[in-house]
Amino acid sequence: MAKIEQEDKYQFAPKKFNMWVFVFTSFMFFAALTSGFIVYAGGHGTGMDMKLPAIFTYSTVVIVLSSISMFMASRAARQVQLGQQRLFLIITIALGVAFFALQTYAWLILLPGMGVYFSNPNASQSFVYVFIWMHLLHILAGVLLLANTLWGSYKERPQAKNLFGMQMSSIFWHFVDIIWIYLYVFLLLNQY
Amino acid sequence: MGFKSLISSKKMLSLVAAFLLLGTNLLMAQEAPAAAAATGDAATPSVWLGPAYYILLFAVVCFAIGIVGKILRVYDLSQQIQGKKPINWHNVMGVLCLIFLVAGMYGAYWSFTVHGSMILPGAASVHGKKIDQMFWTTTVLTMIVFVITQILLFTFLFRYRYNAKRRAHFLPHDNTIEKVWTIAPAIVLTILVIFGFFTWQQITNTVDAKGETASIDVDITGHQFAWELRYPGTDGKLGKTNYKLVTGTNKLGLDFAVDKNTYDDLQADTMVLPVNKSIRLNIHAQDVIHSVYMPHFRVQLNAVPGLPTYFKFTPTVTTAEMRRQEGDPTFEYLVYCNKICGGAHYNMKKVVRIVSEAEYQAWLATQKPYMTDQVKKDLKFAETKPAAKENRLALNN
Amino acid sequence: MSTLAVHDHEVAHHDEDHGHHHHDTFLSKYIFSQDHKMIAKQFLVTGITMAVIAMILSILFRIQLAYPDKAFPLLETLLGRFAPGGRLDANFYLALVTIHGTIMVFFVLTAGLSGTFSNLLIPLQVGARDMASPFMNMLSYWFFFLASVIMLSSFLVQKGPASGGWTIYPPLSAMPKAMPGSEMGMTLWLISMVLFIASSLMGAINYVSTVLNMRTKGMDLWKMPLTIWAFFLTAILGILAFPVLVAGVVLLIFDRSFGTSFYLSEIVLGGSSVQPFEGGSPILFQHLFWFLGHPEVYIVIMPAMGISSEVMSVNSRKPIFGYHAMVYSLIGITVLSFIVWGHHMFVTGMNPFLGGVFMITTLIIAVPSAVKTFNWLATLWRGNIRFSAAMLFAIGMVSFFISGGLTGIFLGNATLDINLHDTYFVVAHFHLVMGSAAIFGMLAGVYHWFPKMYGRMMNERLGYLHFWITFIGAYLVFFPMHFMGLDGVPRRYYAFTEFESMKRWLSVNTFVTWAAIMAAVAQFAFLFNFIYSIFWGKKATQNPWEANTMEWTAPVEHIHGNWPGEIPTVYRWPYDYSKPGADEDYIPQTVPLSQTMSSNLPHDFEDNPAGLEAYAKWAEAQKKSDEVK
Repeated sequence: MAKIEQEDKYQFAPKKFNMWVFVFTSFMFFAALTSGFIVYAGGHGTGMDMKLPAIFTYSTVVIVLSSISMFMASRAARQVQLGQQRLFLIITIALGVAFFALQTYAWLILLPGMGVYFSNPNASQSFVYVFIWMHLLHILAGVLLLANTLWGSYKERPQAKNLFGMQMSSIFWHFVDIIWIYLYVFLLLNQY
Repeated sequence: MGFKSLISSKKMLSLVAAFLLLGTNLLMAQEAPAAAAATGDAATPSVWLGPAYYILLFAVVCFAIGIVGKILRVYDLSQQIQGKKPINWHNVMGVLCLIFLVAGMYGAYWSFTVHGSMILPGAASVHGKKIDQMFWTTTVLTMIVFVITQILLFTFLFRYRYNAKRRAHFLPHDNTIEKVWTIAPAIVLTILVIFGFFTWQQITNTVDAKGETASIDVDITGHQFAWELRYPGTDGKLGKTNYKLVTGTNKLGLDFAVDKNTYDDLQADTMVLPVNKSIRLNIHAQDVIHSVYMPHFRVQLNAVPGLPTYFKFTPTVTTAEMRRQEGDPTFEYLVYCNKICGGAHYNMKKVVRIVSEAEYQAWLATQKPYMTDQVKKDLKFAETKPAAKENRLALNN
Repeated sequence: MSTLAVHDHEVAHHDEDHGHHHHDTFLSKYIFSQDHKMIAKQFLVTGITMAVIAMILSILFRIQLAYPDKAFPLLETLLGRFAPGGRLDANFYLALVTIHGTIMVFFVLTAGLSGTFSNLLIPLQVGARDMASPFMNMLSYWFFFLASVIMLSSFLVQKGPASGGWTIYPPLSAMPKAMPGSEMGMTLWLISMVLFIASSLMGAINYVSTVLNMRTKGMDLWKMPLTIWAFFLTAILGILAFPVLVAGVVLLIFDRSFGTSFYLSEIVLGGSSVQPFEGGSPILFQHLFWFLGHPEVYIVIMPAMGISSEVMSVNSRKPIFGYHAMVYSLIGITVLSFIVWGHHMFVTGMNPFLGGVFMITTLIIAVPSAVKTFNWLATLWRGNIRFSAAMLFAIGMVSFFISGGLTGIFLGNATLDINLHDTYFVVAHFHLVMGSAAIFGMLAGVYHWFPKMYGRMMNERLGYLHFWITFIGAYLVFFPMHFMGLDGVPRRYYAFTEFESMKRWLSVNTFVTWAAIMAAVAQFAFLFNFIYSIFWGKKATQNPWEANTMEWTAPVEHIHGNWPGEIPTVYRWPYDYSKPGADEDYIPQTVPLSQTMSSNLPHDFEDNPAGLEAYAKWAEAQKKSDEVK
């Protein structure tokens, strides 16, 4: 046990810290995009001038649910219940994919249907696309990370390593979730 | 042993000297034909334009350095064998630092006097005089710091060069002195900031004061790679423009159909401005970012497409006066582009001429309006067309 | 304790699928190495290569500036269509300027400097086996390598490399039709930059994490050498600033390729071709760019400051003066660097009030810089200065930092910037304060830590030669440029022949070019020295400079995990040089205070009441024994 603790100290803790810092850089990226939006919209007095379609509410619900199931998976992993951990991981991945699908439907079908195009003289509307796409990139990375963790859970791995994988992916997944909520609230506030 | 090496080193040295001399001779001898080649037929390069010469020269220099290095090493070894001290490089470097300090200070002084005399003459505008004042204050302050710190740096290096018998003074910190040199620059900078801030506010505070006569509006528009000028006609007002209307004949996209003020807007090749009158320079760009730069007036502002800006200034010295002052009968004020804008960025200029009010009015009267016959014809065409359509409709009915 | 040694293998293993880790193959040792020391050397060699390339580019455009009317057939042979008839093409001139700037700022002084020395020194000076994530560290290098290759490959495309200046302001960079360099070359530039940023971020994340999590026993933050402080704060700057540039670049890519109008508005190309863009703001890009761009110049200079502080302290045989003030000024610079970016935009037509605010913040940043300079001078005062090549370069760095920093007071002042903006005054300013100063810091680091990297010494005398020619050369090149700027000569001009008033600067330009060529040739002394010493240099001892920091307690031979057996514990700050009462004029950090009773000061026990008591007892006993005598 002492050995694991030591290993954890020297090996896992710094890597987890790496993940936190990475999450922070990602946050800076979205902060830059949203401040870009503010500078743009503020400087021109042209807001988005559109009502966000309801589908974003559904996708927000989906991603919040996925965060909950991610939390359940982490708890199961801590309690060394491998079966439950896998189940919840699969649910999380499924919800992640569902979110991806909903978002893609929104930008591919709904927004153009409303006359909101990416290539647009009002760049505030283009920003909506940029937010969605950049966030979907993170979702994609998150789903891959989750899949990797799930795959790892089928291999014989020491608990410490399994837990480490779970922690890494849950930090990232919760972050992706929070970022979407941030973006969604930001968009809601700037609708007009 | 030492004697022998001394001889050999002398030999080496003379060899080096011979090489160097040869090199210089070659260089000197080749310079004349080179100049001829440059002015005459560039296709047949002389030897010194060819790379082989330089590679050879480089090899010679490397060789010389190698030899000098070897000599130094042999000298060191021989000294050691004789029980004497080898070259004390700490002393050599310490002395070099001192020499550098003296030579460098002289060099800086020389540069200040020679190059310093080539800089812009005093500002030819009202706000420019304030800028100049700030500039000289800052220069004096920074030069004092520059001289003191560089002298300290290099004399410390000489004074405290390595000596095996000495030990450095253990001084990890001294709070008093650290506070002093945090606060002192802070105070100096505060003074500079306050002056700078207010001057900046004055320069950029461009609202016409009450009772003041309105500034003369002049439009300057940058595009790859020229400036277009537009003066208001007799009405003193510039008409509206619309970038969508820009064509070969309507270079600035004047909106003749909407704004009648455009009718008498004048185009000009030279920016002629009356002396001692407030000028409001409206700055536009059509394609990429340019920068209107008129160094003699201390005027600069970027021309950004989609973001019209303006700069207000009052010229105070006419071109004629400046010519007298500079002793240069061909002197012209210029406006040029100071933001990278493409291949011919380096050649995007217009002459600025500051003249008396009377000369200005006379000049203005000779300028042509943007509304050329061609434009008129185009406009008529656009106006008559719908009318013709109506006629046809009427006929059909 | 063997667990500690074993675990290192575990670290290397962790990232799966490298089955053949136990025995180092050529590939895993030299190419895809995960050892921080090897990665540092990879960064250094790539950085030096890129520096030489960028230097050659600068000589090319210097030749153009000195001889605008002369044809050099050799240029046509070398550059082909970019130099028709032996004269540089005007667009290619801009490409040279752009790529020179980009390579120097990002590839040499960011990756080459931080990448090399953060990688080498962070684990060695804080006492860690390796970086937090060696795998990420390796990826960081290979992303950098790929970015370098792509950046250079832009010379091979038909229309030439990006040429809108290293700041790539749209619309010039956004519209392929605006200039040849904005076509394929710009695309490659953007791809290369995105890879580069990924590399920098991976590096920076590792540096921060390693410094915060993996320090050895006893190494609290206030015992870290200034190098580590500098690298640590630099990494934080990178983490905060680089993502913002990514955001700016992403939007630029959309504008270029997908017809959006983030930065573009009301554009008419070629006098009649009306573009469909509306409503964009070119200034938005400048905000996003300089939000990175300004911290970037501190990313460049802070490691050089850290290295110089360390080298000057070691070679003056004297503690760095005002260690705490040095750290606080670094922190001050870090914080302030995020609120000064607007001083690059005084003349863009930005709100004048904002300009005033940025001017105040900008001039405030001069205070910590001044404190650092005075502290360096005080470090030299009454020192016992050993003129190693590294020391000379550190001094050169200080001299340049003063000369270039002072002109910053002109440019930070919005009022004066009106007339100086984008002139040669700016060129002179930043080439001294961040170009030459940072490169001298880097060279000081190379000379100083060469024994640590390659186990051999570099030739000092060749180093002297290299230093003096480069030092004098740099001053000769950049000093006269100030006056050109004061005459209103703009930067990025292909030739000064079109303006009657600028022709008189031609002789100065010729002089500057020859000074630049001289300095460039002197770099061969360095290159020769560097390569020769790697293979045939004098074998280094473990602590050739008699320095205190931890890296010199590690064996000369490079081993996995840096120290055999246990990592040494740290007991004191790294600057106990020439302490009164000590036998030697240096006491390494790993020597406990109990072994140096005669040199201890009450100050050494500030947070250690037990130690202070023991010290007081010892001092009393000492007094008594003295009395007995």
